[in-house]
Amino acid sequence: MVFMERSTADYTSDDAAQSSEAPSTSPASVEPAPTESPGEEATLHALDPSIKSIWMIKIAGYSAFLVFAVLFYDLTHFFGGTWLPFGVSTGIVFLLSALYAYVWPRLRYRSWGFELGSEELYLEHGVLNHVRTVVPLRRVQHLDVSQDLLEREFGLGRLIVHTAGSRSSDVIIPGLVLAEAERIRDEVRRFILEDPLMEDPV
Amino acid sequence: MANRFDAYGSSSPDAPRSANDQMPNAPHEAEGPLAKEASGANGGAVPDEQHSPAPASMETEASTLGRVHEPQRLHPMTLFQRVLTSLPAVLAFILIPVVTSSNSESWSSLIFAVLYGVLALPAIVLQYYRFSYRITPKQVVIQSGVFNRQNRSIPIERVQNIQIEQSLLARIFGIAKVKLETAGSSSTEGVLEYVGLDKAHEIRQAVRSFQRSRKSAPSTAGASSADASEAEAGVTRTQADPEAATETHAETLFEMPLARVLLAGAFRFSLLYIAVVFSVLQFFDVEAIVDWFLRSRGMLEGVTTALAASPWLSALAGILVAALFGWVTGIFITLNRYYGFRLWLEEDKLRKRHGLLTVTEGTIPLGKVQTLIVRTNPLMRWFGWYTLEVQTVGVDVDEQGHRTIVPFAQHGRVMELARRVRSFDLPDTFHSVSPLTVRRAAVRYTFGVLALVVPAAYFWPADWWMPGGYAAPWYGLLLLPLLYGFGYLQYRFHGYDVRDEGFYVRRGVFSQYLWIMPTEKHHVFYTAASVFQRRLKLSTLFVDTAGAAAFAYPEVVDLPAPEAQSRLQQLERRFRTLYHERIERATGSASTRLSPEERPSLPTEHTPLQAADAPPQDGSQND
Repeated sequence: MVFMERSTADYTSDDAAQSSEAPSTSPASVEPAPTESPGEEATLHALDPSIKSIWMIKIAGYSAFLVFAVLFYDLTHFFGGTWLPFGVSTGIVFLLSALYAYVWPRLRYRSWGFELGSEELYLEHGVLNHVRTVVPLRRVQHLDVSQDLLEREFGLGRLIVHTAGSRSSDVIIPGLVLAEAERIRDEVRRFILEDPLMEDPV
Repeated sequence: MANRFDAYGSSSPDAPRSANDQMPNAPHEAEGPLAKEASGANGGAVPDEQHSPAPASMETEASTLGRVHEPQRLHPMTLFQRVLTSLPAVLAFILIPVVTSSNSESWSSLIFAVLYGVLALPAIVLQYYRFSYRITPKQVVIQSGVFNRQNRSIPIERVQNIQIEQSLLARIFGIAKVKLETAGSSSTEGVLEYVGLDKAHEIRQAVRSFQRSRKSAPSTAGASSADASEAEAGVTRTQADPEAATETHAETLFEMPLARVLLAGAFRFSLLYIAVVFSVLQFFDVEAIVDWFLRSRGMLEGVTTALAASPWLSALAGILVAALFGWVTGIFITLNRYYGFRLWLEEDKLRKRHGLLTVTEGTIPLGKVQTLIVRTNPLMRWFGWYTLEVQTVGVDVDEQGHRTIVPFAQHGRVMELARRVRSFDLPDTFHSVSPLTVRRAAVRYTFGVLALVVPAAYFWPADWWMPGGYAAPWYGLLLLPLLYGFGYLQYRFHGYDVRDEGFYVRRGVFSQYLWIMPTEKHHVFYTAASVFQRRLKLSTLFVDTAGAAAFAYPEVVDLPAPEAQSRLQQLERRFRTLYHERIERATGSASTRLSPEERPSLPTEHTPLQAADAPPQDGSQND
């Protein structure tokens, strides 16, 4: 019962799952993640700001489907009776989506931070469920740098760190400048290569 | 353009490592953990490393184990077994139209019969002839597929677990199913279905001895002749008398006599029979059964009238019968599963063998145990019984990554056996989580119950059951105090401790878990705080381990946020210290870095990337 309550880490659902989150999950009521302990947090790196635009475009794209669906309903009322004047439901959904597309990327951007330490990768993210992750570098199985179409337009890349863990074996840092993502990847790789211990990964 | 990332990013860290290690077989390693290739028309084109220059030890082993080294077919009885197992479905298709309906549809059964003869039977035969496997010193190669040829090679050192399974039918035919499990895949990677039982044991011996010789080869640089002869001696010995070889090293850790198995079953309650009943009902006409029941009513008259007279009594009787069924099913399931259970230690591997109808034999290398799990439930705990499971990575689908190594034993015995698997120091008292978790549970249960009760009560038809003038769902609110009590119990049973050697988490009321996670098997450390948790300054702490189950996860829920943070740092520090100590032991200095002249070079350093110096837009847009 208890462990069902905590939603799974949401960074794997960067693009697709956002559309399922209804615009009504009033993001305004969410307080941005406070950073309590001063030690590590002070030096956290932020993502590249243009990731906000990417997220906004993606959310706008997904909510366009919703708006069109509601517009269809508004025009036809599924060929049944009506009780709302034309345009009201479409307008409400459009405004909520627009608000969501504007506010949510900003909140998400503010919740993100990462730091490549000497022996571990630290990152924190998540607006509703704020997750802090420590990945010891010697636990990294392999690394990917990937771009989707939109990210390529903005010159950004995402770093995907695969571990052998079970719950979320992929740790993803989106919104890095491509060169930066490659630099981090090479640094992690170098750590793994230089590790004097030759051990089985698991 | 996109290939640029693949070329450098996704190659596994193994490749450079083994190159660095002067391993003789580095090029093969570089193919990645699991090289799968579909080689369309020319199915015979196996990457044949027989002709590549192999060290002397490999050659000698190849000759002694020649029988497995050559491509092998499955046991011929496989054909018969497959036909036999495909029959029930076919017969259902053929017979159901005949039984259930008139002549007009019986031609369809004829079509099915013809289709089966023309398509399915040749498919079974073709599949059999197109399936071959062989075990070389480096890899297990399995070729399969009729139209789409699949050529799967599993590097020998990746095989984590070899499981030999015999179903009842297979035991009659003297054949067995061999499952090869590897890390990092969520399903069994290679299945040989079926080979002769002696062949199955031979395969396991071969894989294990190849693994041993591979492990010893790199350590003594250049595969010395002493190594080779030793490996050869080991192989010939096991070849000569495999049973004797296993017996000499074996030490039995745990056995379950029949009485113990039955007792274990008595504590297990299974509702599996309900599923069986439903699936049976799908094949039979319910109306016919009811009809039959009504006709035979004469005999049951007394019972039915008594039941009709007092509905409460009949409900009670129904529950009792259902419980009895569940109890008996539980006993049978346990008996079938754990009959003749034996766990023994063979060098550094746990082996177990059990089963009544299907005999399963499994191997768990001690080093591959990720987490120890001690389980019980309130009833078992009352009598002092516990179950010990280990979590491994080669996920067996049946056991969801958890392998039961002690199904049923008293607490002291379970702990003693657990320490044989991995030494640990169980804390006497566990740290509690924040008491605020009780409050959170109460809020959660209140909202949960309200979400069910209020709509149900709102839509409750006025002419339905309304005791005392209120719609029946409102009485669901009476459950709330019980749930509050449950929330408190959850808090009481939840505890954790962080120690040098590991992380301990205890959790669960009805199904009570104790996870023992050794520091060296920690993978990723997390804290998470939901919106509601942040309001109360709480956090959830968890440590990811390889192969953990998705349900029943060792989380520490609702720690005070500062405590969660400091524990997170503590865990990470322990992990780091452990590895620094290991590095110091291995190399003599605690530095995790090599000196500059020892540094291996990255592929990115050989081929300068434009993207590194040019603005990224240029590198990525022009295509």
